[in-house]
Amino acid sequence: MVNLTIDDKQVTAPKSATIYEAAKINGIKIPILCHDKKLKPFGACRMCLVEVEQMKGRQIPACTTPVTDGMIIRTSTPDIIKARKMVLELLLLNHPIDCPVCDKGGDCDLQNLTYEYQVNANRFSDEKFHHEIDYSNPLIERDMNRCVLCGKCARICDEIVSFGALTFISRGIETKIGCEFEGSLNCEFCGSCVSVCPVGSLLARPFKFKARFWALTNQKSVCSYCGTGCNLTLGVKDNKVLTTVYDENQGFHNGQLCCRGRFGYQFINSDKRLTTPLVRKGGALMEASWDEALELVATRLRGAGASAAALATPRLTNEELLLFKKLMEAAGSANYDHSAGYAHAALTKGFARSFGATASPSTILDIQKSDLLLVIKTDSYETHPVIGFEINMAVKNKGAKLNILSDKRGKLSKLPDAKTFVHTPGSEIAVINSLAKAILDEKLAAGSAVSIPGYADLEKALAGFTPDAVAVQSGLSAAAIKQLASDYAKAEKALIIFPVGNAYPGHNADMASAVANLALLTGKLGTEGSGVLCMAEKNNSQGAVDMGFYATSGLQAGQIMDGCASGAIKTLFLAGENPVVSYPNRAVVTTALDKVEFLVVSDLFMTETAAMADVVLPACSFAEKEGTFTSVDRRVQHIKPAIRKVGQSRTDFEIFSTLIAKLGGQAPAAPAAVFGEIAASAPGYAGMSYAALGETGAFAPVDITPAFVVPKTVAVEPAAGKLALVIGSVLYHNGTLSQFGEGPMYVCPEGYVELSRGDAAKLNVAENDLLNVTSAAGSTKLKARISSRMPEGVLFSPYHFGAAEINRVWSGAPVTWVTVTK
Amino acid sequence: MSEAVAQQAEEQEPEVDLSIADKVIDKYIDLPGNLMPVLQAVQDEYGYVPRKVAEHVAERLNVYPSQIYGVLTFYAQFHLKPRGRFIIRVCVGTACHVSGAPRIVETFFDKLHIGHAETTPDLRYTFEKVACLGACGMAPLAMVNDDTFGKMTVQKVDEIIAEYNQRPMK
Ligand code: SF4
Ligand code: SF4
Ligand code: SF4
Ligand code: FES
Ligand code: FES
Repeated sequence: MVNLTIDDKQVTAPKSATIYEAAKINGIKIPILCHDKKLKPFGACRMCLVEVEQMKGRQIPACTTPVTDGMIIRTSTPDIIKARKMVLELLLLNHPIDCPVCDKGGDCDLQNLTYEYQVNANRFSDEKFHHEIDYSNPLIERDMNRCVLCGKCARICDEIVSFGALTFISRGIETKIGCEFEGSLNCEFCGSCVSVCPVGSLLARPFKFKARFWALTNQKSVCSYCGTGCNLTLGVKDNKVLTTVYDENQGFHNGQLCCRGRFGYQFINSDKRLTTPLVRKGGALMEASWDEALELVATRLRGAGASAAALATPRLTNEELLLFKKLMEAAGSANYDHSAGYAHAALTKGFARSFGATASPSTILDIQKSDLLLVIKTDSYETHPVIGFEINMAVKNKGAKLNILSDKRGKLSKLPDAKTFVHTPGSEIAVINSLAKAILDEKLAAGSAVSIPGYADLEKALAGFTPDAVAVQSGLSAAAIKQLASDYAKAEKALIIFPVGNAYPGHNADMASAVANLALLTGKLGTEGSGVLCMAEKNNSQGAVDMGFYATSGLQAGQIMDGCASGAIKTLFLAGENPVVSYPNRAVVTTALDKVEFLVVSDLFMTETAAMADVVLPACSFAEKEGTFTSVDRRVQHIKPAIRKVGQSRTDFEIFSTLIAKLGGQAPAAPAAVFGEIAASAPGYAGMSYAALGETGAFAPVDITPAFVVPKTVAVEPAAGKLALVIGSVLYHNGTLSQFGEGPMYVCPEGYVELSRGDAAKLNVAENDLLNVTSAAGSTKLKARISSRMPEGVLFSPYHFGAAEINRVWSGAPVTWVTVTK
Repeated sequence: MSEAVAQQAEEQEPEVDLSIADKVIDKYIDLPGNLMPVLQAVQDEYGYVPRKVAEHVAERLNVYPSQIYGVLTFYAQFHLKPRGRFIIRVCVGTACHVSGAPRIVETFFDKLHIGHAETTPDLRYTFEKVACLGACGMAPLAMVNDDTFGKMTVQKVDEIIAEYNQRPMK
C-alpha cells in the first residue's frame, strides 16, 4: 500500500493502482471516457486529467499514471475543469447533436459529462462528420459520426474477445473505427463492443427504439443458455424483456456475455410462446383448462410405477428438478433422466469413479491462475464462450501456455503461441492414455501417485498405449504426444478443460477417467490453477447432476426411448426436453414417441417434440420464475422473476407441485422451502441458505477421493471411402432453445455441414451447395460450408436445428461414418 | 475472416497470384515484428496491396485482417488499389499554389479523366496532389515517377502526356 493525498484527503491505495483507481476506491470521482476496468490503460481521451504537485502541477491522465508514495493530487482545480470542458468542446465539434433520436440517450457518457461540466456553448465550430452508417447486420448498428475514438470497442474485441474485428483506420482528422477494407461487421456478435461504447456509435439493433434507457426496470438474473452461469441484467418495460443491460460489476466475467446471452433473450417474449394448455382430442391438440390437462396427467401417473418415465431439460431450476423427481417417486417410477444418459456420463459416472464426486474439482476462476491449459476439443470455446474469454485472457494477459487437443481447429488455435494437436476423430481417449503412458515412461509422475488406489492396474493397462502405438491410430506423431505429456507434467499449474453435452458422445465416463488419471498421476489437483474443469452444456446441467436427476436404479434416457418403442413405457413426461431434435437417431426417437401411449410435454414452445404430445403444458421461462441454477463449477446462483407470467403459463415448479398434490403427496409451496431440502441433502450444498445466496451465489465445494480407473477406449476403425462426421455445438447456439432467440438466429439461422477445402475440391463442392449426407442410420440434406479449420476426411455439423436433421444421420456413436454426394 | 467476406473479396478483385506473397512471407515468417517488412515487400511485388494478399498475410502471420488494414491506411506508403505505370505528382504547396498549381491540376484531371489519387483504367497513370516537393524555386512543379518538370504550364501538361503515352508499359 502507498500513502497519498487526493484533494487534500489522506488516502491509501495498492501499489499497483493508477491514480484513477486510487481515487475510485476512496470515493473520489474522476470522469473517464476511454477507460474501462477490464481493458488495459489507453489514455486517449484526456477526460481524466488531474494535477500532480510533484510533477510541477502538470496535468496528467489519471487512468494511465500509477500512484507513488506521497503523491499529492488535485482532481478538480479550476484549470482542470477548464481542460475537461475543452476536451468536451472539441469532441462536440464534430459530434452530431442527435441525442433525441440516439438510443444511448440517458446512458451516454458524453451526454452525461457535457451536462455535468455545463458545456452549453461551444467556442469552436467545424463541420460534422459524414460517415455512412452501417446497418448491414441485424444486431449491431455502427454510426461512426458519434464516435469519440476512445478505442474501447477495438480494444475489447482484441484483448478479451480475441476476434479483432474493429480497428483504427487512417490517421489524423480522417481516423475512424472500422473493419478491414471498410467492410461490414462480420464477427462473433458478442456485443462486447456495444456494451463498452460510451456513446451511441455502436448500438444493439434489436433494442432500437424500444424504450428510453431510463424507462427500463432492471432485474438481475442468470443466463439460461450454457453452464458458464454468466450474470445478466434484464431490461424490462411493460412486462417485456426488451434488452440485456451491461453491468461491468456483474459476475466473475465483469458483465461480459456471448452472443446468446447478450442477444438471445427474445425467446422470453416471443409471440411463439405457448399460452394455454393443450389436450389432444380427435387427433388434434385443442385448448384446455389447466385443471383438465393436469387431471389427465395425474390419472396417467397415479400408480403407473415403472410404466412411467420422465426426461427433463437441464434448464429447469434445482428446485424444479427435485420436485420432478419427487413426482416420479410419487408415481412409483425410478425412470428419470436429464439426457445424462447421453451427455453427462463424464460427470455422473466418470468423475464418480475417479474423484468420488460428481462435479469438476476446479473452477472457472482457476483458468487465469494456471500456467498451462490443456483444452480438449476446441469447441470448448464455442460451447461456453465466456469461458473462452477467460482462456483468451489467461493466454494473452497472464502468459498461460495453451495446448489444444482436438479433431479440428478452432478459434483458440489462433491465440498467441497456441499449439493445436489435431487427432483423428474418436481417438481422444487413446491419446490421453498415451499421455499418461509417456508421463510414466519419462518418470514425470508425482511421487504420491503410487499410493492412489488402482495405480498398479493403470500402469499395466497403459502398457499398450505407447506414444508410438497411439501415433498410428491418432494421426499425431509420437514426438507430439511426448511433447504434450511433458508440457503438461512439467507445468507447475496445469488445468484440463473439456466440454460435455448432448452432441459430444465421445466425451463420456471413460474420457473423464482418462483425464482424471492425468491430473492424479502428476498431482495437478486440489491447488489453485490446477485440476480438471468439465463443462456441461446447459445452464443447470450441473444442478441436474447434483439433484440426482439421472438414472441410478431406473432407466436412462436411451433406455427410456427403447422402453417407449417396446411398449414397456406407457406414459412419458418430458419437461423442456426436445429429443426429436437433440437426441441421436431421430428415426428411433420419433418411433418411440409415436408408440408411447401417453406423452406429456411441458415447454415454452410448440417444439418438434411437443407437436407429438397428448398433453402440452405451457411452461414459464427463467425470467418468470425464481429458484437456483448451478454452473459448471458449482456456483449456485439465484434467479428472480423479471416479468409476470406470459399468458396462462405456469412454472414447472407449480406444475410438478400441483401434480404431486393430486397424487396425494405433500406439495411444497415455494422454491425457498425446496432449497432448504436441497441444502440438507445435496452433496456440497450443506449449509447454504436461499436468502444468503445473494447476488454472487455460493460455491458448493467438491471433496475428492481419488482413484485410478482404466478407461475403455473405442476402436474407431476408418471406413474406406467415407468421411468422419463429428457433431457439436456452434458458437451462437446452445441446445435447441436458441432457435427461439432471434439474435443468434440472425447470425446463424440454419444447420450446415462443414468440410475442408481439400474435400470440397475432391467432391467438387462449392459453398452453400446442398449435400446429401448419408450414414447407416439415415440421410439428410445440408448446406455445405467450406473452411480451413477442418482436416481432410472430417465433417462437422452443429446439432441445434430442427430443420437441419443431422440426427437422422448421427447415430450417437463418437464418430459417424458418412458418404457425401451433391 | 468469414467465408462470406472472403467471397466478396474475390468478386471485387482481379486474380492475384498468392505464391508471390507466400515467397515474401516465407522469408520473414520467423522474424519478430515482421508485419511491416512483409507488407512493404508485398507492395513492391504487386505494386499495391491487393485485398486478397492482405487477407492471406493476415492468415499466415496470424494477425487480425482488421489490424493489417489499420496499418495499410495509417502509412501513406501503402496503396490499396492498383497504381499506374506512371505516377504523376503535382505540387500544391504554398509556392506552387500561388504560381498556378490549381490550373495545372485541373488540366491533368481534364486530360486524363481522373481525379486525385485515381488511376486510369488502362493503369498507365495515377495522379496525386502533393504538398511541397521541396523545389519551390521551380514552382509550379510536377513530377512523373522520378522525372521533375519545373515552371509548369498548361501546354506542358499536353507535352508530358504525349511523351508518356509513347513509353512502354513495363
Ligand atoms: S460484437 Fe464482439 S466480436 Fe463483434 S466486433 Fe463487437 S466485440 Fe468484436
Ligand atoms: S465506436 Fe464507441 S467504443 Fe469504439 S472508439 Fe468510438 S466511441 Fe469508442
Ligand atoms: S450462453 Fe453461456 S457464456 Fe454465453 S452469456 Fe450465457 S452463460 Fe455466458
Ligand atoms: S479516461 Fe484517462 S485518458 Fe481517457
Ligand atoms: S510549394 Fe511546391 S515545391 Fe514547395
